Parts: sequence; C-alpha cells; structure tokens
Amino acid sequence: MSDSFTISIDGRPVAVQPGESVLTAARKLAIDIPTLCFLEKCGPLNTCQVCLVKLNGKLVPSCGTKVTPGMVIESETEEVHEARRTALELLFSDHVGDCLSPCHRLCPLMLNIPLMLRHLEAERWDEAIATVRQALPLAGVLGRLCHHPCEQGCRRGNWDDPAAIRDMEKFVTDQDFQKPETHLIPRKPATGKRVVIIGAGPTGLAAAYYLAREGHSVTVADRQAQAGGSLRAVGENQLPVAVLDREVALLARLGIDFKFGVELGQHVTSEGLARGFEAVLITVGELAPAEGAKLGLALAGNSIKADPNTCQTPLEKVFAAGSAVRPQKQLVKAMAEGRAAAECVHRFLGGQPARRPEKPFSSLMGRIDPGELKAFIRSTHSGGSVAPCDRCAGHTRPEAAVESSRCLHCDCRSSGNCVLQHYAQTYGANASRFRAERRPFEQQLQPGGIIFEPGKCILCGICVKLTEMAAEPLGLAFIGRGFDLKISAPFGLEVEAGLERVAAECVQHCPTGALVFAEKKLAAANGRGATSVDGNSAESGQTA
Amino acid sequence: MPIDLTIADAAVARAGRKPEALIPILQILQERYGYLPEEALRRVCLTTDITPAAVAGVASFYDMFRMQPTGKHVVRVCRGTACHVAGAERVEDSLRRHLQIPNGADTDRAGQYTIEPVACLGTCTLAPVVRIGESTLGYTTAEKVPELMRDFLANLATATAVKSTEDQGEHRPGVRAEIHVGLGSCCMAKGSDRLFHALRESAEAGGVNVAVKRVGCVGMCHRTPMIEITTAAGKGEFYAGLSPEHAAALVQRHFQPRGLVQQARRVWTRVLDSLLLDAPTEQRSVQHFSMSKRDPAVRAFLDKQVHIATEHFGKLDPLDLDEYLAHDGFAALARCLGTELLARPHPGPLPQERENPSSVFEQSSVGDSSCDSRTSQSRRKLSPLPGGEGQGEGEATHTSKITQSLLTSAATREAIISTIEKSGLRGRGGAGFPSGQKWRVVAQQTNDTKYVICNGDEGDPGAFMDRMILESFPFRVIEGLAIAAVAVGAREGIFYIRHEYPLAVKRVRAAIAQLEQRGWLGESLLGVGAPLAPTQGERVAKPDGGQPQSYPLKLSVFEGAGAFVCGEETALIASIEGERGMPKLRPPFPAQAGLWEQPTLINNVETLALVPWILRNGAEKFAAIGTAKSKGTKVFALAGKIRRGGLIEVPMGTTIREIVEEIGGGAAAGRRFKAVQIGGPSGGCVPARLADTPVDFESLREVGAIMGSGGLVVLDDTSCMVDIARYFLQFTQDQSCGKCTFCRIGTKRMLDILDRLCTGRATRPQLEELERLAVQVGAGSLCGLGKTAPNPVLSTLRYFRDEYEAHLAGRCPARKCTTLIKYTINGDCTGCTLCAQHCPVDAIPTTPYAQHVIDDAKCTRCDTCRLVCPHNAVEMK
Repeated sequence: MSDSFTISIDGRPVAVQPGESVLTAARKLAIDIPTLCFLEKCGPLNTCQVCLVKLNGKLVPSCGTKVTPGMVIESETEEVHEARRTALELLFSDHVGDCLSPCHRLCPLMLNIPLMLRHLEAERWDEAIATVRQALPLAGVLGRLCHHPCEQGCRRGNWDDPAAIRDMEKFVTDQDFQKPETHLIPRKPATGKRVVIIGAGPTGLAAAYYLAREGHSVTVADRQAQAGGSLRAVGENQLPVAVLDREVALLARLGIDFKFGVELGQHVTSEGLARGFEAVLITVGELAPAEGAKLGLALAGNSIKADPNTCQTPLEKVFAAGSAVRPQKQLVKAMAEGRAAAECVHRFLGGQPARRPEKPFSSLMGRIDPGELKAFIRSTHSGGSVAPCDRCAGHTRPEAAVESSRCLHCDCRSSGNCVLQHYAQTYGANASRFRAERRPFEQQLQPGGIIFEPGKCILCGICVKLTEMAAEPLGLAFIGRGFDLKISAPFGLEVEAGLERVAAECVQHCPTGALVFAEKKLAAANGRGATSVDGNSAESGQTA
Repeated sequence: MPIDLTIADAAVARAGRKPEALIPILQILQERYGYLPEEALRRVCLTTDITPAAVAGVASFYDMFRMQPTGKHVVRVCRGTACHVAGAERVEDSLRRHLQIPNGADTDRAGQYTIEPVACLGTCTLAPVVRIGESTLGYTTAEKVPELMRDFLANLATATAVKSTEDQGEHRPGVRAEIHVGLGSCCMAKGSDRLFHALRESAEAGGVNVAVKRVGCVGMCHRTPMIEITTAAGKGEFYAGLSPEHAAALVQRHFQPRGLVQQARRVWTRVLDSLLLDAPTEQRSVQHFSMSKRDPAVRAFLDKQVHIATEHFGKLDPLDLDEYLAHDGFAALARCLGTELLARPHPGPLPQERENPSSVFEQSSVGDSSCDSRTSQSRRKLSPLPGGEGQGEGEATHTSKITQSLLTSAATREAIISTIEKSGLRGRGGAGFPSGQKWRVVAQQTNDTKYVICNGDEGDPGAFMDRMILESFPFRVIEGLAIAAVAVGAREGIFYIRHEYPLAVKRVRAAIAQLEQRGWLGESLLGVGAPLAPTQGERVAKPDGGQPQSYPLKLSVFEGAGAFVCGEETALIASIEGERGMPKLRPPFPAQAGLWEQPTLINNVETLALVPWILRNGAEKFAAIGTAKSKGTKVFALAGKIRRGGLIEVPMGTTIREIVEEIGGGAAAGRRFKAVQIGGPSGGCVPARLADTPVDFESLREVGAIMGSGGLVVLDDTSCMVDIARYFLQFTQDQSCGKCTFCRIGTKRMLDILDRLCTGRATRPQLEELERLAVQVGAGSLCGLGKTAPNPVLSTLRYFRDEYEAHLAGRCPARKCTTLIKYTINGDCTGCTLCAQHCPVDAIPTTPYAQHVIDDAKCTRCDTCRLVCPHNAVEMK
C-alpha cells in the first residue's frame, strides 16, 4: 500500500501500515516483546502490561499502541526490561501455585518426578523410563542409593507418607532391565568434538552421560580396571554389582569409550590430554594426602583448584569437578556436579562462556496448610504408602501404579507450556521479590474435565473476551474489582457453565495454568483412550 | 421468601432493554429490593438484551450494588481524608463494637444494622461523618457512638422525619423581606432543613409577610446553619450556628408578628441579645455576625476570595430559574445562539440597592454589576462575543449582525472556542488540560453525532466542590454544558453525577425538568427559533431582522454507581455504556472517539461553571486573574485540622499560607500546621515550610503535589505522614478497577509495605523497595489512577523521610499508628473510675480511689479513656 510509512524500533527502521500496532511492527523485526493478554482475534486487552515499550519518554503497552509516522520506540533496553520484569514479578507475587513441584526442584538432577509418577499411574511404562533416563545417569543405582531429598520435600508427607519416589525409580529401571533391549536415551548428532574424562566414579560417569547425549565423542579413563569408582565399594545388598554393570553397559551403548588402567600424572598428563582433546574433565575423586602434587594441576589445599562457576582449572581446556574439587558426601550431589561440569564443558565446546546450568524458573507457593492439602488429597489415592508384597522383588506393576497415584500433582499442569513461566525465565524474574501473604490454593475440578485454579489466573481477560465473542449463553465475567478481581461464570456458577462453546479455545489460549484440561480429557483428545490417567477424574464431579 | 419480580419488570420498562440500560436497571433494583436478588437479575437477562456475564460483571464492580440484603438500618461511615485524619477509624471500630457486627461481616446477626464504609460523603467540614439512614451526623467520636445510636433510635420512635426542602420553589408576590437559609448537603447535615421549616412555621404562625428562601451553599461550613435576613429596607443580617429553637425568636425579633404575647417576645429577644455581636464568637453555641465586616474571622475568610464559579453564592435559590435569569443567567448561552434574553422581572423582594452596604458575600465578587438588580428588569446589553472576528466592542448592532449571520455556524463556534482558549481556562478536574484545546479537537471532528458530558463523579476523598456547585448552581453548570455543546456541535449532553450526592442529582434533574417545561431544552435550546409558548411570561427576544435557527439539545442525568475510577474519562464512558468502569488505553482520546465511539467532550463541573462568566465578561477579564499559566480562580474544599473549614474560591496563585492561615485561620489552638494534602489520592503533601508555594498547576506539580479537583486537607502535628500515605494507598487499592497488573498488584504491594511500616514490622530493604516500586507503578500503569497512585507515597517520602525512618525504628512521632503507641495512666489519676466505666473493651479494671491501670493486651487504642479523663492522667506514648 502506498500509505505505509516507517517507524523506528531500537534504532532499526521498519515499514508499517497505518492501524498496525507497535507489537506487530516489532515482530516484523523479530523482536520478542513478551505478551500475556494479547491474542490477535481479541484485539488489545491492555491488562498484563508486560509488553511495555518506551515512547516519548513514557512506557506504553505495545499491543494497544498504534503506529504513527516517525514514531521512535525503545524496546530492548534495560529500563524497559526492568519494567517488564517488574510486571512479571508482580504477577508472581499473587500467583498461587508452583510451576515445578518441590520434589522436582529438590532433585539435584532435576528429575521431573510428578511426570514419572503420572506415567506410572497410567501404566505408561515406556514413557516412565524415558522420563527417568532423560534426567538420571545410572538411574538403577540412584533408585537404590539416592538419599532422596525429593521425598523430604514431598507434600504428601504432610498428610501421611511421602510418595515412594526412589522406589519408583528402582521399579522403573528394574522393569526396563527385564526387557530384551533396555531404553536408550537419544543422542544428538555427532559434533566431532572429543572430550576425555579422567575418573569413572559417579561424577565422571554422570558427566560422560550428559556430554555423550549432546553428541560429543567421550572417552572415560580410570586407573582402575572397571568403571564405577566408589560405587564398587557399596555392598551387594545395597547395590548389586549386576545393576552397576548394566548401567555401565548402557553408557557404553551410548558410545562412551572406556580406557582402564590409565592414571593421571603417571601415564598421561593434563597438558598432554589437552593437546589431544578439545576438552579435559578431571573427576578423579577425593585425593589421598600428597596425591594432588602428582597431577600437575593447580591445587587449593589438597583439592584441585577450579572455578566453582565454570569448573575450569587455570589450565586451558581442563575442567575439574566432583570430590576432587570439593568432597561430596551424597551420591546424587556428586552426580549433579558431573552434570554441572558437563554443561560447562558443553558450552565451552560450543564457543560460549562456560557456566553451570541455570536453575529452571519456578513460581513458589511455599508451605500449604492442611485445608489446602485436603484439596489436593481429594483427587489422589487416599491411603498411605504402598509397601511391596515381596520386599526383595520390589513393587509389582499394580503396586507401583497405586503408589504413584498417591502423588498430589502439586506441580503445574502447564509447566513447560506456560507463557508466564517462559518469560519469567527469559527475563530472569525473581518470583519472590515481593513477599506477601498469599491467597489460599483453590482448585475447581469441573465435571467436564476442565480444571480451574483461580490462584494462577492473571486476569488477562482472554477467556472473558472469547466467551463474549462466541456469544456464550452464560459466559465468563470479571467479578469484583481491584485486588479482589476474579474470573467467574455469572450467578456464582462454575467456570465450565460459562464455557459451552469455547472451552477448548479458552484452555488453549490461557497464558498460564489457570484453565487446563484434566489428563483424562487430554488423553481422550489425543486418541489414547480414556485410561484413567489422572486421579482427578476419579472424583471429577466435585468442586473445590 | 419469594421475590416480587414485577419490580424487575418495572425497572426494565423504565430504563429500557438495551445493554446500556444495565446500570440504571440495577440502580432501581438496588433501591427497591435493597440488594440485587439473583432471581431478579435472571429475570432482567431474560427480558432484555443484557447478558448474564454483563450483569455479573457490572453488579460486582460498583460499590452501591449489594448481593446480600442489608440490615434494617444502614450506617454509612465516611472514609474520606478529612474524616480519616479526624479519627474515622476509631468511630468505625466503636460502631462495629456497639452494633455487635462480627469481624469480616457488615451486618449484625440480628439483621438490624449494616455498616457500610463510603469512600467520601463529601461533607468534609463535619468530619468524622456518619450517615444513618437519611440523616448525616458530623463531629462524631468513638465515645459518642452509644449516645449517637440512642438518639437515632429515639428519633425513629418519635418519627420526627425531616420534611424535604426540595419542593420549596414558590414565590410570594409582594413579599419584601426574605430569610435566606443555606441548604447544601452539609448545611442540612447540621440541621438547616429543620431550621428552614421552623422559620416557615414561625413566620406563618405569626402571619408575617416574609419569604423563607432556600439558597445554595454559603461556603462557611464551619458556621452553619446560617441564615441571612433581608428586610424591605434592604438591610441584611447574618446569624450563624443556629438551631430550630431559635426560629421563633428570630421571626419575632425582625418581623413583629401579630398576636403574640409581649412577654414571651421580650424573653426571647433577651436571649438573642445575649448572643449578639462583638463577643468572642468561638465560645458560643449560637453565633451571630453582622454583614458589615466587623467580624475579623469572617473578613479573613472572605477577603481573599473571588467568586466566579460560585458567583452570587448564598444568594440564589438553586432552582429558581427566574432568579438565575435575573442574575445574568443564560445570557452567555443566549449570545452563543445569536439572541438575547429578556428576563422576567424577579418576583421576590429586591435585593439591596447599591447604596446599601453590600453583602459580605458580594464584597469580593468580581463582575460587580452582575448582581445589580436594576438591570434585571431591563433588556441586557451585552458586549459582543469576545473573540468574534474583529467586531467592535459593545455595540448592539454588531452583536445582532454576528448573531444573525453566524448562528451556531463555524464562525460562532470558532468565536466561542477562541474565547475559551484566550481565557486560558484549564480543566478543573485534576490534570489542568487546556479546555479550549479540548473543545477544538471535538469541534474539528466531522462526525454527525457528538456528545458533551459534565463529569460530576467527584471521587477524591476530601473534595466536595463539585457537589456544592451542582447543588447550588445547577443552572449555571447546565448553561456551561450547553455552551460547550453549541461550541463543539453536540446535540446530547449527559451529567454524570455520583449517586453519593443525592441532592446534587435531584437538583440537576429538577433544573433540567424546569428548562424542558419551558421549552428551553430538547428541540430548541432556550426556545430560540421555536414558537413561543403563549402562557409563558418570559420570551426570547430575537435580534432585528433575523430568525435564529433552533439548536436542539437533549440533557440527561446519569447517576454513578460508586466507583472512583469512573472519574477517569474512558472509565466514565464505559460506565454510561453499561459496562464495568474499566479505563481504556488512550489514544484514541474521548475527544476523537468517546461515547459510542463518537467524539465526546468531557469537562468537569467547575470548569463548566466558569464558562458562562468567561463568555459574559470576556476572556481578558478571566485571564487577568491568576498566574501566567494558570488563569482564573479555583474552588477548594478546605477541611482537615483547621479552624475555619469550608468551600472557598480563590484566584490561582494564592499561596497555601494565605489559604490555610488567613482564610482557614490556621491549625487549632496548641497544634502546629504541618502540611496540606492537595489533590487527593493523586496528589501529594506539601510541607508547611513550602507554604508560600502559590496554588497553580505548575507550582504544585513542582513540589510533588497536583491541583487535583481541589480537595485541600490540612494536616497538623497529630497527623502521621506515613499513615496518610498508607491511607491513600488503601484508597487507591480499594478503588483500583483491577485491570492492569501495576495498579492491581503494584499498589497492593506498596500497601503491604506501608502496612508493615505502620505496624513497626518493616525493614530498610522494604522501604527501599517501596520507593522503587512507587516509581515503577507510576510508569507502568495503564490509566491516570494507577499512574498517580504513588504520588502520596513519593511526596511524603520526599518531605517526611524522617517519619518513615522513625517507623522503621518502631516509632510513630504523631502517635497515630495504633500498634506503635501505648496508653498508660500516670500518677495524676484520682481513681474516679470514669475511664474504667467508659472503656468499651474492659481493659481498665475499676479500682476506686486508686490509680487505674490499662491492660495493654486488651486495649484497642480507641482513645476514649484519654478523652473522658478529667485529670489528663491518661498518657499516650
């Protein structure tokens, strides 16, 4: 069109049509302005104020601001980002719910425990092992030896017993090992980069697992004749050697090359290795007195000197981690150090500055009181922990399914699929910047399979607008005002009553986990049949 | 109990079936049922185009709608600024205790009383104010609550309901004497209506030929009920602080009634004599002052004032159209329509002749001839429209020429707008946007349909100027709005008035009805161009040789439903359209796309009240008043910790010191003037050391306040500045529409920190966070409410940081924050047991003749013991 004109965003010109919004213009320049309440068909709702940009010295929402000729917009500046971050942080200060469950957050290896349990409950064994292997190296070992901090954080423990998470890991791996071909985690295409890891203990093996999956060529060397390091010293009753061997074999199947009888400082030197490999990771375990001097590495006391944030030693290309740097008392923490080192090395190999993995963002609802707990309990198996009939054989499949169904599902159903969470991570939002009394957790289980959690609603208004546009007979409305504003169907009816026509659309466009389908409904939609996946559906007629 | 659904049907029949009828329908339902029964709401949805979602959203948005029935009596407690600083919280606590209303509920278990906090009742000079049923009670205190409720029930039992004063418009030909009784809302709250009726009855009983006449606000709220007696001789005398019992004596004193016992007269006269003149007024319950300026307090109150928006205050019957006409009313509008008005002779007694000592109320009135009664019977000669293109001055022929040819044409409109522009008039609603510019934008729009709206949603706690103007000068505001309509080309005008101002609503409605009856509204403004109604005494004079065209204008009143945010233009429009009052992003501005997407001019009440004067007296005359950038006058509601509160109108540029110390008489004896809060929740606190700041838009902004709508609350050393900041944040939190993140949650988080400060639980990082967040909320909010909400915090942080520091250390220097203070009884206690008897929570054991002790755990800091102690033995630390 001839009447198009140019505006400037962050100093870059962009051609626009009259009537376009600043947001649309920015997207043409591939500037990712965050939005929560914006949905094209609804028009600008101007509620979230997360899409702020600066115009003429003032912050304006880009979704509702129309372009005018000669407009000069600032978007990616620290000032604008701070305002957006503050908007996100304000939303989180009134966000009742955890993105990630406490068990998930407490796991040093970030295993998505509730997901594993939901798979088990639904008897999706393949998905369960995939979930476990995705996060855990030596899962069979951890399933026996982990000191399970996850279970200490499990909210079910405030009611009766925590979910038997470690036992479920053991169950999952045991099941898998019974199959002719055990599950192998996918490997990314080869990068051509070679990494050598000295020390085949828990830290080294964990690092090898993560690095191999990234497509790097990994060699693990150890002065012993077998991999496992200190794990070899654990008694048979706690960790059968066969289990350890199967886990190591799995690592070999992943393409990891093992060299045994190789000792650093005797057969090889760090400098020498650094010449032959793109990266060297030293995970030799706790050093015996005076042993350090032989390694040819800078020392701090009797430990190898390495930057805690990057795992880098003063020697180029040489990294160190695990008990060799700082003694590790817990197996899972030693392996988490391996994970951190792997991330550092991986980033380094990719030409980026080395740093430990970022903690995934999570909204935090904190302690929940007995009343709220009840709301969670309602949709789970009501009994205490399910002990296996045969202690040695462990849980049977039905036992595992029941035990898993005790999980409260206190993580968010939208985690990983949530716009709010996504931008919080991107903007480095601090979910607890504003300390405040939080509202009680509330979960409305709707008969038709929708779950509405009002505490997670950010009042974007998209669902209100969609019901209005669809001329829903009842529809949804903003109720009240100010801080007490909420979304509800008219006349105190349940949300689902207002969603006769556009339920799926509202769930799809809800920017958070406030409006979701229960798993049962989801599974049905995905053609997986109506297996009772979600304990919620068992009593789905109830409403909080 | 089944609900009578015919009420719902009747409401629909009255208000209509369109979506925009929703709020009026709900108002009717609320009024009739006392709440909104669900069955009735469902019925409305069935019988109209209104959706259930709309009903649910709107009904829950506005304060006036309730979903539960109220108790038998509704006790409204004002939470305005003036009431707050005067201890409204304690009164509310005391009422709750006394009426046994459980925590978290608003109605007692027996269903007798419902307590309802109101953002501001707009009767700030009577603070703290409680309204029970229809009666407004001022100067309440916690310890007076039981007495107050007893009186209320006693009155109820004797059924002494006060008669309305709203049907008192009749004129009595031949009457030469008048008694003017100020009948604004606050005057009435202090018993002016009872006095009014008592005077009438006394006059009638005595067969005295005197007209007892209702007039609008007299401004001196601190002295009401107040009357002015003018006799045939033109002599006027003022009485203040009267009660109905004085009525007979007053009539006797001035009008020699027939058939009364001489003795009684002598006795009463003696009583009045004792209350006369020259004695120190403040010690008497009934005060009298003469209209000569003998009373220094009156002189101080009035000397600095200039009355434009409140021209002829205390003189005019608000609803006497003829009287308004006799005082130049509608002359400006007539000229805009290219005609002149021939006013009907005023039927009442002649106002004082010029040679008489003129009333104090007129002393400082600008445009002095405007009140000259001799002109009221003659055809007015008006100067040509100021700003008209190059016309000569003062020649009637010229006037005619312009008006004939340019009637409501572009040129006339241009003349009006350029006059407003030249006058420098800026919006009195808060932001001070140049009015002429706004008018021009609307005038330039080419749409066929345009609207003008008078914004009477005066929501600032501590402000009541607009209420007073609407109650006292409804015709003036109508004239202003009509001129605006002509100037911008609108044919429909709406008065948006908050429902908390029932008298204002009533009077504007009555004024519109009178004009409609006269054929002056509707098809033809002022009846210009329309056939004359044969029975009407007045007529419109046409300029020679031309038949002016008629200008159609329809006016209506839309009652707000209780939402502060509706003062914001886009929210106000949403409200009229039948929606939740949630603001929209601007642009587009209402001037471009407002009501029903049509260009809409929205002006504040006071702005419109200034317009007729400007057009009559010329832009230059208005621009000569005030400062370089802020022209004319500003009306302020002066209240708080001050001796003489009231309604004042001063030239822009008057200093805060002049207002507080000269007009208001300064802080009460023994107290120190600390700061003034200007601009309400969007404004700030100006400390006493900056009292020489002139009151104009720019200067106030510089010191961190804003003009706002004109609430001016004086604070003294008993006012805690952190508490004031908390108070305003609480207000904005309560009133936030909740639409955007920064306002909905941001102001809440600020309030959290202020709450912690006021209870001694805040840390330094939290104080720093408060400051940081204040800036971010201001920058990130969608509308003006959120953008300005942090101002009270920022300005107190700027000038009173030491008080914030003290609160961090757990100390409240003003001893206002109750958790930071402690009551103790010292050795002066004689053991009289009064405190123990009065303590509402039994925190003081009765120990006769021995020093009493307060149980700190039980003490609610209601202050009662300290007030009742005759020995000043109760200390507050």
